Amino acid sequence: MSSSLNFLAGILSTALLAPTVAGLPQGQNNQAALAKQSSIIFSGTVSQLGAVSFVGVPQSPQTIVVRVDSVLKKPSAVSLKEGDNITVEVQDPSAFQQGAQATFYAEGWIFGSGVAVKELGHEFNAGGGAPAGGAGTGEAALGQIQKQISDQDLQNRIASSDLVVIGRITDVHRWTIPKSAAARYHISEHSADWHEAALQIKSILKGTRPKGNKMAVRFPLSRDVAWFNSPKFQKQQQGIFFLKRDQVSGDPTATLGGDQVYAYTCLKPGDWLPLSDEVRVRSLLKK
Amino acid sequence: MYAGFPAYYFSSEMCVACGIRPACCPALPKIQSRLPGETIAVKALAAFWMRLLPFTLLVMIAGILLIERKTPPKTRIGGDGLQSAGTLSPVYASPIQVKLVDLIPASLSGETNQDSEPFLAVQAANPQVMVASAFTPNPVSSSSNAPVYVSQDGGNSWVLNAITPVPRMTCDITHAMPTGENHPRGDLHAGTLACAASITLDESESNDVSSGAIMNVQSTRSNVDQPFVRALAISNSDHIYVGVNDFNQPNGHTATVDVSVDGGVSYKSFSIEARNTAGQDGPSVRPAVAPDNTVYAAFFGWRKFNGTTATSDVVVVRDDAGGTGPNPFQALRDPSDKLPGRLVVKGASIPWSNAPTLGQERIGSTLSIAVDPNNSSTVYVGWADHGRKGDIYALHVRRSTDRGLTWSKADLPRTTISNATNIALAVANNGVVGLLYQQLSAGRWVTHVVQSHDGFATAQDLILASVPADTPVQQFLPYLGDYDYLLSVGNEFRGVFCANNSPELANFPQGVTYQRAADFSTKTLTDGSGNRVAVSIDPFYFSVPVIPRSAFAP
Repeated sequence: MSSSLNFLAGILSTALLAPTVAGLPQGQNNQAALAKQSSIIFSGTVSQLGAVSFVGVPQSPQTIVVRVDSVLKKPSAVSLKEGDNITVEVQDPSAFQQGAQATFYAEGWIFGSGVAVKELGHEFNAGGGAPAGGAGTGEAALGQIQKQISDQDLQNRIASSDLVVIGRITDVHRWTIPKSAAARYHISEHSADWHEAALQIKSILKGTRPKGNKMAVRFPLSRDVAWFNSPKFQKQQQGIFFLKRDQVSGDPTATLGGDQVYAYTCLKPGDWLPLSDEVRVRSLLKK
Repeated sequence: MYAGFPAYYFSSEMCVACGIRPACCPALPKIQSRLPGETIAVKALAAFWMRLLPFTLLVMIAGILLIERKTPPKTRIGGDGLQSAGTLSPVYASPIQVKLVDLIPASLSGETNQDSEPFLAVQAANPQVMVASAFTPNPVSSSSNAPVYVSQDGGNSWVLNAITPVPRMTCDITHAMPTGENHPRGDLHAGTLACAASITLDESESNDVSSGAIMNVQSTRSNVDQPFVRALAISNSDHIYVGVNDFNQPNGHTATVDVSVDGGVSYKSFSIEARNTAGQDGPSVRPAVAPDNTVYAAFFGWRKFNGTTATSDVVVVRDDAGGTGPNPFQALRDPSDKLPGRLVVKGASIPWSNAPTLGQERIGSTLSIAVDPNNSSTVYVGWADHGRKGDIYALHVRRSTDRGLTWSKADLPRTTISNATNIALAVANNGVVGLLYQQLSAGRWVTHVVQSHDGFATAQDLILASVPADTPVQQFLPYLGDYDYLLSVGNEFRGVFCANNSPELANFPQGVTYQRAADFSTKTLTDGSGNRVAVSIDPFYFSVPVIPRSAFAP
């Protein structure tokens, strides 16, 4: 783990310092964007051109076989290790020769007895050996890159939210769609089983503070495949809530304390964060 | 039961199939309890047999062990070839060649997803090419496309290819590959639901399932449920039938078939519900297509719904011209009200539970229909309802031999099956009907394939898998799927089901091939680098030969 992390950190930090690599966008932001976009990053040696490494992958002039020297980033479910042969569909086959050593930034393509990926970018390793940089730059550099990626995700979440609220859930109850909107409501395995939470507002990080000190937040309690990843709230639960005006449940409004107010939804994994992330969220809001 | 098959391979409650527990051998206590009332001669005879019994049991156990040693399931990664199920039957003088393959590829050995709700398409022009699907997420990215499993060698090996038009993971997917004469790996037609806040149906096509090209979306709309795709090969203009529960239909007549007669270029939606509903029909709408352009569709006509029970008719409609006319699916009318749609069963009580109810599985809409490809007058329909007292859920199968005009008045023999789900029916070219289902029995999910040539008066019941029902713990619902699938291809029944993937030989009586890294001696999964991987739900492909009609006992 640590060697791979160091390796990636070295590659990334070196690339940042020496932006003359082939096939890569220029600059730090592009570098981070490429690393984020890549689900699989590995260093390897080109062993065959116009070939594939396992049955089931369509062979073409764009496919090359690369022997993996080091895996720098991959999902845990994917079996890929040093010495494996991997098929890479490259963007420019003329850029590669047998024996060339490069670091590949790639997205997954086909998974069978082996792995096939599509190249998003590559950099040839200086001197034909291991990538420059090495472990010396340490995990701090990689951590910085990963934090940058993670922060970008969070910034996107903030930007797409109508309200970002720090608060506490004071009540949760099943929400039944009113008869006026019932014509739009149907029964299926994918029904959300809407529940409504009363959220007591502590502070508003983004958006206009709603009238009163509470707001209605709807969420799906269903364990159906469509909803099981959505946040499920319980009474007294605190945290940071990334909310959108309700355009899903069938009724955009709620009744709260006798007043009709806008209802909000919290649907995606990550639309709720623990209070320990408050400082980070606040700092990103300032950017 | 066919006497020539070893009992171990079948589901009947024989001692050898379930150990030597007295519960499995009710004859034992009966023999003992009868002795005091018998004559001395009979007592002597009984004593002789009682002395012989231990020896007999020992011989049987030894026989079982011998059989197991002779037919070890394949455990190697990437293996191929057919799997022998055992010895010959006097009624079927060929080995039962069962192929059972865990679809998870070797390069994803570290995955622990709940890959439930499988489906299968076989290319008509080249049955070596197949596409399977499940609730399998994109293995590397939440923003990339949901994948399907592709085989080009008749199911011996499978790869995962992210070509559906849906991000990350589908929330429903079925498909068909009717032709492919112009596309050696293509003409896959799929109906997919995206797991978004507004669940959207895409009807899409791929001309090459082995390429990285994302399927071309030909039609899309929201507010529908459970697309179920069947197709008929028509040169250059495949006929495609997608059963959907379309909430956009007026008056609660939601049971709908989308019909395309131009290979998916355009679709027309036809409600097939003609009666008052409880605001909607049930989720399952199932077409079945015969080569002579006869198209049946079955659906649950919900007449009442109270949140936990649907009072439902099981309705079958038919069209004799491939759904091409202006008012299709009206060929069958029920004598009771003269309305389109034959009521096979009226007022069935169907439990609806979107929570773990049958083991860890939800229940509420289980339906299948199959037509004889060479005699479209013969059609079978199967469904699940509340069943008898004490049942949670029970399967039923009925048959019509006059194009759906009349149906068997009761369940066909042996087809009232307690606490079972995921029924899938198919009819082979020789008229033999296949029945796939999964039954919760003694804390295990047992997957059966039954074949019969005479409406289940006689039948061969083969167990493909028997796995613990309490592990793994469900990640979401459905646990195994709201459906599985069976179809006939030449002289094979091919199908898919989902099950606990623990690599234990005893769980797969017909043998099994794992592509993913598995050690059957230690019963452990690994990630390919030696690290243990937790048990999860995997999709399994199988092929079972269709039994020749002549092989069934008269």
